[in-house]
Amino acid sequence: MTAENLESLVNRRYEHGFVTDIATESLPPGLNEDVVRAISARKQEPEFMLEWRLQAYRQWLEMKEPEWAHIHYPPIDFDAISYYAAPKSDDDRPKSLDEVDPKLLETYDKLGIPLHERARLAGVAVDAVFDSVSVATTFKEKLYEAGVIFCSFSEAVREHPELVQKYLGSVVPRRDNFYAALNSAVFSDGSFVYIPKGVRCPMELSTYFRINAANTGQFERTLIIADEDSHVSYLEGCTAPMRDENQLHAAVVELVALEGAEIKYSTVQNWYPGDENGVGGIYNFVTKRGDCRGANSKISWTQVETGSAITWKYPSCLLRGENSVGEFYSVAVANNWQQADTGTKMIHIGANTRSTIVSKGISAGHAQNAYRGLVKVMPQAHGARNHTQCDSLLIGKQCGAHTFPYMEIKNPSAKIEHEATTSKISADQLFYCRQRGISEEDAVNMIVNGFCKEVFKELPMEFAVEAQALLNVSLEGAVG
Amino acid sequence: MLEIKNLQSRIGDTEILHGLSLSVNVGEVHAIMGPNGSGKSTLAQVVAGHEDHVVTGGEVLFNGSDLLQLAPEERAREGIFLGFQYPVEIPGVNNAYLLKAAVNAKRQHQGLGEIDAFEFLKLAREKMAALGMDPKFLNRGVNEGFSGGEKKRNEILQMAMLEPKLAILDETDSGLDIDALKAVAEGVNALRRPDRAIVLVTHYQRLLDYIEPDHVHVLSGGRIVRSGDKSLALELEEKGYDWVREAASA
Amino acid sequence: MTQAPLSVDRIRRAVSALPTTRHEDWKYTDLSSAIDISTRWLQEDVSRAPDAASPQAIAALTAAVDADWIVIENGVPDPSSFPEGGDIGIERLRHAEALADDPLARLNSALQRDALRIEINAATEKPLGILIIDEALSGAQVSQATIDIEVAPGCDAEIIEYHSSSGDGDHYSNSAVTLHIGESAKAAYVRIQDRDLKHVQTARFAIELDTDSELQMAGYDLGGGLIRNDVDVNLAKPGASANFNGLYLAGDDQHIDNHTRVDHRVGPASSSQEYRGILNGRCRCVWNGKAVVHEGADGTDARQANHNLLLSDKAEIDAKPELEIYADDVKCAHGTTVGQLDEAAIFYLRTRGLDQRAAQQLLTHAFAAGFVNRAPVAASREAVTALVEARLSTLVREAIS
Repeated sequence: MTAENLESLVNRRYEHGFVTDIATESLPPGLNEDVVRAISARKQEPEFMLEWRLQAYRQWLEMKEPEWAHIHYPPIDFDAISYYAAPKSDDDRPKSLDEVDPKLLETYDKLGIPLHERARLAGVAVDAVFDSVSVATTFKEKLYEAGVIFCSFSEAVREHPELVQKYLGSVVPRRDNFYAALNSAVFSDGSFVYIPKGVRCPMELSTYFRINAANTGQFERTLIIADEDSHVSYLEGCTAPMRDENQLHAAVVELVALEGAEIKYSTVQNWYPGDENGVGGIYNFVTKRGDCRGANSKISWTQVETGSAITWKYPSCLLRGENSVGEFYSVAVANNWQQADTGTKMIHIGANTRSTIVSKGISAGHAQNAYRGLVKVMPQAHGARNHTQCDSLLIGKQCGAHTFPYMEIKNPSAKIEHEATTSKISADQLFYCRQRGISEEDAVNMIVNGFCKEVFKELPMEFAVEAQALLNVSLEGAVG
Repeated sequence: MLEIKNLQSRIGDTEILHGLSLSVNVGEVHAIMGPNGSGKSTLAQVVAGHEDHVVTGGEVLFNGSDLLQLAPEERAREGIFLGFQYPVEIPGVNNAYLLKAAVNAKRQHQGLGEIDAFEFLKLAREKMAALGMDPKFLNRGVNEGFSGGEKKRNEILQMAMLEPKLAILDETDSGLDIDALKAVAEGVNALRRPDRAIVLVTHYQRLLDYIEPDHVHVLSGGRIVRSGDKSLALELEEKGYDWVREAASA
Repeated sequence: MTQAPLSVDRIRRAVSALPTTRHEDWKYTDLSSAIDISTRWLQEDVSRAPDAASPQAIAALTAAVDADWIVIENGVPDPSSFPEGGDIGIERLRHAEALADDPLARLNSALQRDALRIEINAATEKPLGILIIDEALSGAQVSQATIDIEVAPGCDAEIIEYHSSSGDGDHYSNSAVTLHIGESAKAAYVRIQDRDLKHVQTARFAIELDTDSELQMAGYDLGGGLIRNDVDVNLAKPGASANFNGLYLAGDDQHIDNHTRVDHRVGPASSSQEYRGILNGRCRCVWNGKAVVHEGADGTDARQANHNLLLSDKAEIDAKPELEIYADDVKCAHGTTVGQLDEAAIFYLRTRGLDQRAAQQLLTHAFAAGFVNRAPVAASREAVTALVEARLSTLVREAIS
């Protein structure tokens, strides 16, 4: 097995591009206060929401794009972007799966996406999607009985303004960073979840089953509140390549865990990464933060990131409550010309707070993959504990793997451990597997999945199976 | 079964095998001995299909067909097993998982269905018990953190599970203490069968005290310089490899 | 030799261009005290004679290690201290070549009146000692050393660099040392920094290793008010190996920042570094280790480790072990820990009859002991042990009492 062979596998085509069709009812490109007002008006938002957006916009105007990440891309022209597109008219959509690119369907097949989901993912007009509405309705009833609120963000603004007003921006302030401010001004839609006191959410909540999900990808806003002693597991994204015409994505996710509450947030991100020459692809600038506000609360982030041309994402935990726990489990794959700068922040504020970070980065092709993490222990965080394991796997000679961990420790009773390693899929490992009769591609998948095992075991069962399949598809051709 | 004719190979710019010929029949046990650098391990790697080695001449037939045309995994599925001198560690990949994938790859090649998970576990446990291996090894990463003896036993376990037609065991005795050596040798002996051939590649005679070969070959300078029965191994032990080198250059 | 005149304007420009904490590499270290001292010094007559160090102090420091000492007092090399004989060549230069294009290198360049070039052509009986001693009795003073050291191919060199300062005045030193280790040569290098607890130092140490050469380096930070060390190791030729370690012992309001950068430009080559810190009082220490494996540097083995013991609830450690890897046939690893003494070990010692306090003292000393025993220049070990033990005893006494 030679290096050239390893590289030749990298160079296989991504099997599906965008399904291009024309959106209607978009606002003209550019951003100003009128655009912000128009967005708010179209969503029939209450006054407080408009005011909040406007303030965010004014703050955004004074901010600069962050430049510290290990990513390179041409300047983004924020005036060339259209900040509002209405959900598509059904006339512009494929009428059935027969009209969808067969390559895309093939990928769905490889990933084992359920039939009724394929239509929705491929953007087939909703009335043609016979299953999902009834599925969603069934789930809605079950959730309603438990007292769980799970709806689109727009609906929450109208139906539960007191909750939105109380918690929105309380974890990620409007001016937290450039992209968070932009999102706060123009966010399109997203999910809202409220789990009442003492309730264990009866099912895993998934954006799969969210209605009104159309066209929320660009500036998505999610807010999850777990009241005292409640528990929720939320699944975001899906393994199938998502269709989206908008190149810039800037989502914000806020989680609030009150005393004794637990939130498990799992993400699989597979936005279009661009072609093998690095043309196209989504720029994904995401702010995700969880606030362990109450004692004994827990927030756990698990992510499998395989998509996007550029990923800038640091799901974080503010560990305020005593004995609260933060976790971050991540697999980030970058192939071809993808660039990822991703990691986490664990801010220990309360006493006896604990955090665990497990990051697995895989680089192939010409990709650059960086882990960036902060573990901060404040002076009052007695007995804080952190363990960080940060491993990189390199496939090929042109890619890069980087690690930028920051540790800022201001308490002498803290115990902080950080370990990082770098390895490659060695020719010896591949030969060994092949000598046992296993094909090269299967051997690579086996080794990569072995490398990611600690993260996959954190994913909900069916998601884990999908994630493994996704990894195999993402690295298809990465080793030859 | 295995017919090697005038085989020549190089790695990088270095010629290693210089016209090696060897014939192994079904049911036989051959020992290949020779000093360091004589090409013993190269022979094993070339037969298994390691791509660092370039075959520059000669041929290798396996049951009459050209082996050199096949990829390493195809050779494995045809029934060639290489017991590695230095089994590689594959962190995170479960030992049982690899073993099952290997067994199934072969079964698929033979047109058989996948092995049932319970059947597989039962079989693996049986074989492990016979080798004196702790069943816990199934759940550890492939060779990850194994001692030298554990790695070699693991190789024999894989051989037992894969039931090859031809097993080439490369320095299976190296780095083993006497107890581990005995255990590995017993494992190999248990796998001796009339329909299977075994080629032992070894530097020392001591392995042959436990596994009795039908034929012994001495390799020097990339070719076989002497062949004989097991008494050749004893002669070698007594006279050392210098004697072979002299014989080769004479 | 007459010294080069200083240009006040040039220095002023260089001072005003010093980095702020907005700069990523200076995130944790604020140079405003260096700027303040420099500015006050510039307001006075920069050409006035600096305060002289006492000959007894120099004698005591140089007596600590049996070495051939070169003395640089307030930035001025003392020619009478230069060793004689052909194995070491010493040349005074008015200007050394700038070693990097960054604000501190530019400041060093602007402040240069005198630079030394030292060539070590053969192994000498005694190690070469370089004593950099600064005295500031009052007011604000700035002085620095600029030294280029060349170790000839195949040569075994032993070098000790000793920074010391005293006086009630404010002092800022911005030294720059380069070390080029020739083909198949070996350099053992010990750096001791024992400045006054109010004084400020920024020091760059740039090392370049030639084919098959070897570096064994250890740095000991014992004093200083604000200390920033930059160690740059450049592995530009195959077969080189660099092992460098550091120990920082800080208390009071000390701020000690160790930044290291290793560039693996070709392979095979190996680097390993381990920094350890014991922190007490209201001190703040920074360790930022960066290893860059450039494209094509196959066969790189790069290791970093950083371990910290915090003794006080007002002390802070900021650690940042970075890897930037652009090649795949590499072994890179880093490990960082922040913690306390091992409770099990304390308990064990107590069952053997030591009291809590004695057990803590013993284990704290043990945390540093490996670094002292491993000091690369054998002749320096006794002195290093004495200095480390003395500093550590003060820190531990304050922490445990």
